[in-house]
Amino acid sequence: MNPTTLKTLRLLAVAVATTVFAGSAIASAEAGKKKAEPCKVCHGEGGMSKSPEFPVLAGQNADYIVAVLTHYKSGKRKNPVMQGQVANLSVRDINDLAAYYASQTGLMVRY
Amino acid sequence: MAAGLVAAAFGAQAAGDPATGRQKNFQCQGCHGIPGWKTAFPEVYHVPKIGGQHPAYIVAALKAYKKGDRDHATMRAIAADLSDKDMEDIAAYYGGSAPAKK
Repeated sequence: MNPTTLKTLRLLAVAVATTVFAGSAIASAEAGKKKAEPCKVCHGEGGMSKSPEFPVLAGQNADYIVAVLTHYKSGKRKNPVMQGQVANLSVRDINDLAAYYASQTGLMVRY
Repeated sequence: MAAGLVAAAFGAQAAGDPATGRQKNFQCQGCHGIPGWKTAFPEVYHVPKIGGQHPAYIVAALKAYKKGDRDHATMRAIAADLSDKDMEDIAAYYGGSAPAKK
């Protein structure tokens, strides 16, 4: 076959392979559940916090949680307790935690 | 509403009134009331869900925006307009029990 066809086929093969193996790059709620053990103390089981001092996390939007944890980590948002909690979280950890809490039932959009 | 009346009867601390809060939330609806709505600036992410959040937490957040402790520009502008009573009422409307964990 001509070089262009070959090039296209190679590209297609890479694309398919990437898609097939992409699962490992997607945030895991299951992994997040394990990582959320230290969070339970304040934010409650499954993110259903019992105390108004700690927000309900259950059902919150995943990318919002990622943004907030990232802000705590960078110091953009200040809270001494949270700053300590996120210090050891990797990007993967943050995304897994966010996926876990987003998968819980709790918060909702209210008009 | 009934809870508000009961609270008033027992002279409870100014728990906000959800019915009044519903009249006051016109600045909130456009972002927090639309499923899937995203912020555009300075970063893009889904606007946080606040339905079912602890009312006192909502009030604390609004106060933090008003004071400047939290720095989202739009939220600061909105919180600047709200009195303490407004915040209590709005928080009472959005807050209350989130559905229990399944």
